[in-house]
Amino acid sequence: MLPTPDVKDVDYDLVYEPSEDTFLLLDTLEDEQKYIREKFAGKVPLAVEVGVGTGIVSTFMQKHILPSSILVGIDVNPNACATMIRTMQQNMNAGDEDAGISDTVQMSLLSGFRDKCVDLLVFNPPYVPAESVPDLPVSVSDSSWLEVALDGGEDGMAVTWELLHNLDDILSPASGVAYILFCARNKPDQIASTMRQKGWKVNTVGHRKAGWEVLSILRFTK
Amino acid sequence: MKFLTTNFVKCAVKSCSASQDSFPLKYSECQLAKEESEYNPDFVCHMLERLDWDAIVKVAADLGNTSIPPQKPEGLDPIMEDDQAILRDLHSLLVETVILEGKMTCSSCGHIYHIKNSIPNFLLPPHLV
Repeated sequence: MLPTPDVKDVDYDLVYEPSEDTFLLLDTLEDEQKYIREKFAGKVPLAVEVGVGTGIVSTFMQKHILPSSILVGIDVNPNACATMIRTMQQNMNAGDEDAGISDTVQMSLLSGFRDKCVDLLVFNPPYVPAESVPDLPVSVSDSSWLEVALDGGEDGMAVTWELLHNLDDILSPASGVAYILFCARNKPDQIASTMRQKGWKVNTVGHRKAGWEVLSILRFTK
Repeated sequence: MKFLTTNFVKCAVKSCSASQDSFPLKYSECQLAKEESEYNPDFVCHMLERLDWDAIVKVAADLGNTSIPPQKPEGLDPIMEDDQAILRDLHSLLVETVILEGKMTCSSCGHIYHIKNSIPNFLLPPHLV
């Protein structure tokens, strides 16, 4: 089993704390390590995580899953962007020979990213069904940043659909792959069949009952 | 924000998505720093394959570096001494050059984005979303 990155000195009133969903994502990426490495052998892939939170998943990816990559962590929450950089620095050892490059941008989904250039996309979305998707707080130190990390509007899918509808323009046509986390109330089976109709291959690569939530991770490829 | 990242980001305004002018952004009033990192010639070689060279030349010029060759260096061999020098320079430019503070302007719509504490902010005001 691959070691979980250390996450230290984080203000969990401002940044989403690693939870069951986070750990399912780590375990699933570990299961997928061979598939991912074979897919990008001999290349420098561009990996993007949307919604980095503490940066634990991005750090795990760059340290253990796909070391020789360019990794960009995206979050709307500036506290998360800053924390990701710190977590990455705390866990990477100087002199790691195949260390890749990581960076962070504050952005809504991939709205400021060039089209069709992401090779590996990982997204743990705000998936909790809620009346609406919250507006972004104005102040950096507003505790409602956590609601932004959780509340996903109708069926908890408002934000995720925005990304799925654009997946064609996000992933690199040759080798793009996306891992996205869902809870049962998002109706992942329906999502999978809708996406298959649009020509995507969809595989369930992670599944876990976590307390009262049933979580799953779907893998999307062309 | 690392120099390399400028090769992947464009204006976030929807109506700019079809415009050639929304990438690369124009960088100004930038405060730069150098962040040492492990040099791996193979990595730099493979990384080059995926980069938009014209954008690198433009952004480097924005930041005051006009010594970048106009054509992407092809067929670099990490074992050759001459190529080593080029790869080291590219490592230093793309990986170790960090923009701490600065402005990014879209040449299509003119919107200005800010880089603060090394984090570029691409969130748009409500009227542009």
